[in-house]
Amino acid sequence: MDLIRGTLDVLLLKTVSWGPLHGYAISKSIRSQTAEVFKVEEGALYPALRRLEAKGLVTANWGTTDTGREAKFYTLTAQGRKRLKLEVDSWGRYVEAMSRVLHATRPGI
Amino acid sequence: MPKRPLHGDRPRVGQLPIDEDVRRELQSHVRMCAAELEQQGWDPSEALREAERRFGNMAEFSRECSDITRSGDRAVVRAGRVDALRQDLRYGLRILKSAPAFAALAILTLALGIGANTAIFSVVYGVLLKPLPYEESERIVWVREHQPARGRSMPIAMANFLDWTEARSFEAIAAYGVWTQTVRGGEQPYRAVVAQVTEGFASVFRIAPLAGRLLDPRDYDAGAEPVVLIGEDLWTREYGRTPLEQIRLEMSGVSPRVVGVLPSGFDYPARAVIWTAAKDDNTSRSAHNYSVVARLADDVTVAQADAELDALQSRITADVRGEDDEFIAEAVLIQPLRESVSSGSGRSLGLLFGAAGLVLLIGCANLASTLLARGSVRSRELSVRQAMGAGRSRLVRQLLTESGLLAATGALVGLAVAQGLLVVLKSAEGVSIPRLEDVALDVRALAFTAVASILTGLVFGLLPALRLSRAEPGQVLRSEDRSQGSGGGGNIWGPLVAAEVALAFVLLAGSFLLMRSFQSVLGAEKGFRVEGVMTADIDLDPARYAEPGDQIRFYEELLTNLNGRGDVSAAGIVTSVPLSGGLPNGRLELDGDLSKHATAGYAVASGSYFDAMGIPLLQGRTFDERDRPESGHVAIVSRSFADQYWPGESVIGKQVTGGGMDEFWEERPFATVIGVVGDARYSELVRAPDPVAYFPFSQRPRRLGGAATIVARSNAESSAALSATLREALRSADPSIPPRFRSMEDRLRGSVSQRRFTMALIGAFALVALILAGIGIYGVVSFAVARRRREMGIRLALGGGKSQIRRMVQFQSMRSVLLGSLAGLAGALALGRLLESTLFGVEPTDPLTLGLAAVVLLAVAWGAATIPAIRSTRVDPMVAMRSD
Repeated sequence: MDLIRGTLDVLLLKTVSWGPLHGYAISKSIRSQTAEVFKVEEGALYPALRRLEAKGLVTANWGTTDTGREAKFYTLTAQGRKRLKLEVDSWGRYVEAMSRVLHATRPGI
Repeated sequence: MPKRPLHGDRPRVGQLPIDEDVRRELQSHVRMCAAELEQQGWDPSEALREAERRFGNMAEFSRECSDITRSGDRAVVRAGRVDALRQDLRYGLRILKSAPAFAALAILTLALGIGANTAIFSVVYGVLLKPLPYEESERIVWVREHQPARGRSMPIAMANFLDWTEARSFEAIAAYGVWTQTVRGGEQPYRAVVAQVTEGFASVFRIAPLAGRLLDPRDYDAGAEPVVLIGEDLWTREYGRTPLEQIRLEMSGVSPRVVGVLPSGFDYPARAVIWTAAKDDNTSRSAHNYSVVARLADDVTVAQADAELDALQSRITADVRGEDDEFIAEAVLIQPLRESVSSGSGRSLGLLFGAAGLVLLIGCANLASTLLARGSVRSRELSVRQAMGAGRSRLVRQLLTESGLLAATGALVGLAVAQGLLVVLKSAEGVSIPRLEDVALDVRALAFTAVASILTGLVFGLLPALRLSRAEPGQVLRSEDRSQGSGGGGNIWGPLVAAEVALAFVLLAGSFLLMRSFQSVLGAEKGFRVEGVMTADIDLDPARYAEPGDQIRFYEELLTNLNGRGDVSAAGIVTSVPLSGGLPNGRLELDGDLSKHATAGYAVASGSYFDAMGIPLLQGRTFDERDRPESGHVAIVSRSFADQYWPGESVIGKQVTGGGMDEFWEERPFATVIGVVGDARYSELVRAPDPVAYFPFSQRPRRLGGAATIVARSNAESSAALSATLREALRSADPSIPPRFRSMEDRLRGSVSQRRFTMALIGAFALVALILAGIGIYGVVSFAVARRRREMGIRLALGGGKSQIRRMVQFQSMRSVLLGSLAGLAGALALGRLLESTLFGVEPTDPLTLGLAAVVLLAVAWGAATIPAIRSTRVDPMVAMRSD
């Protein structure tokens, strides 16, 4: 299943909201949490992450993983957190509206 | 953005090049993925391939990542920079607005320093340094005959010049004579500057004719038809650019043909408008009648040419030495033409340049002390900003922006000041400085002074930030401003104020010396009258006054007419009046003894001339109707003539003989002295008067010849009325004479214009320096007082008398002023030597003048220190103690 346009950003913001994560960890987390429903090339994360960084929603810093590897860690900024909340709210309304329509019994016309 | 990396000392974003940053990040992903696959049992090489497959198009993603980060960086950086600059500017403007006095002081200082210096340097460059407008003009030199033993140089005798033409040092060499003469033949007679030039003239200047041809060798043949070249401007003005063959002109009784036109802009020598061939076969080596210019040959230096010509001159004058030593020059003097054109202006322009430099220094010192004082007041504000997290570089940038804002404004105002000053300089009344009218604002000078001032501004504007950022903010906040004593900043300002005062003292002393000298020159014994005396240069049409008797009759009738008028007290004629370039020198034998001779100015005049010019008769009588052409020839000598050549003897009845001065000496070998008159200074006011011998025009009309000057004196206030009377009398006598009027007052002004110009400018500089020093002292004391408000308050609260406190503030600032004055006095004494040759009637060490300068300077300094000191005691103790 292809990802709906624009939702990858929300997924990423949500994923890094738990704390600094490097790209591979982000991709693993998304894959496991979505039960591999979405087919995303792993490399596609990176342009998206960089776009978020340029918008000031996340910051990136080089660090070391638990296994001693060098990796770049992404952290949510205050601005990113605000944006995430907005997105989550509007996603909730979207889903609510959609499911109300899709699960409705025959309406009285 | 947190500054510390998450773990250890790893590279941070922004430190790695973007491409490398991307490559490493993506590679690390692939490696982690592969490592995990290996743990799940994949074969290592298989694992890596699988990891790359899952990752997708590595090259494409890398490029995309790099692009995003790169453009994002630029946008962020750009936005940040513009934002910071705008913020700095806005903040700077607000700060300057909140301290308008400080801003005004700084801008005024900059504007005066930049403006005055640019204007003066523009004049120095335009008059002294700019090349003359001729092709390879640096190779054109000016040559004079020179008597090293007497330290005197003189014009050139034609016989000597002809021998010089064989010198190899020159590509071309030419002699010329120049005078003013009436040209007739056109609609109106007019007076024109006419140059007689030898063959090489056009080659020396490398000029080409605009129309027609140049003078060529045929024109110099003995019997050749007389021809002239005219200037383009004259051609346009007088002849409407009609074809040359239709122009008729008449000069000195001949009607030369116009064969060529020289282009507008060429007016050498002396703004000549007509050039004619110099034909002179005078073999005398002492008839110094010509000027000489030459063009150096390739690779020949002035020194080499000087050496060659010196040797030549020594050889050709060897035979005649001994006979007429006083008029034989055994050496030559060569200098670049540019220097000779501005000779005399050189020294005063040097002085002006020095003065401008001093003002620039004072301006810089002033700016420095103002900024330092201001900086110390602001250090607290800066500490607060630093404590609130402003970085050092940000604060430096803020201060730079402020200084830059001030400097830019100051430079702009300075440009306006320079333009204004230049207009004033060029239009100054009665100034006759060569090439001055062509002077334009010099961009390099503006750039130089602006850069100097702005650098000063930036350096001293930054000092507070540098001093500040060395200390921890908290320390400054705690220590600064709390009842600070006379230490601290005072240590930096003191020397600056002292330096300013010293420089201003030097300027002020120099300016006062020049003023006193100028007064001495004006007040010097001139020996003639200036007030109410009008002169008119005329020359007679040789065709109408062919016989000497005709000329005598004309002058006599004119003088009888003028002297009969009620509004003319006295009128006379003379060959040339005082301050019109000096009299020609002549050699006179005395008492019929060939071995006894005098060198004296040789003037031909009417008897009424002495009365008209206010030259007193001391003994005997002046010329009158008894002195007819056929009666015994007579002479009048000046007092210094009598004292020098017949000391202690009775002069009346002595005899003088005038050798080659004019043809009348052949008819009558001697003239009898009938009177002695006072010494009139003909050439320069400040020199001892040269001896003069006068002869009556009635006995030497040809000497007067075409050109004479009519002198009329009246008691009427208006010189215009007198010149109208003169004009009318002349017109009724002969309407074809175009007179040129000039009052003696005007001539006097002209003769001192260079001095006046120098004095006025140095005076202006001294004034500027005084103002700047005053501003500097005022500024520094104000800031010092402001910093010590709390201390003042405590002192007042503890019962300190106001006057006591005021005196304390004043004395502390006057210490620097006094030290500066002492240094300035030493400087003035040392620099006075440079002025010595310019000064007249006052010593460069004149104690009265130096004392006056000191008094004025100290008074201004005292005033500048007193205003803020008085304000300091108006402090309400309670307010002051609560304030920081």
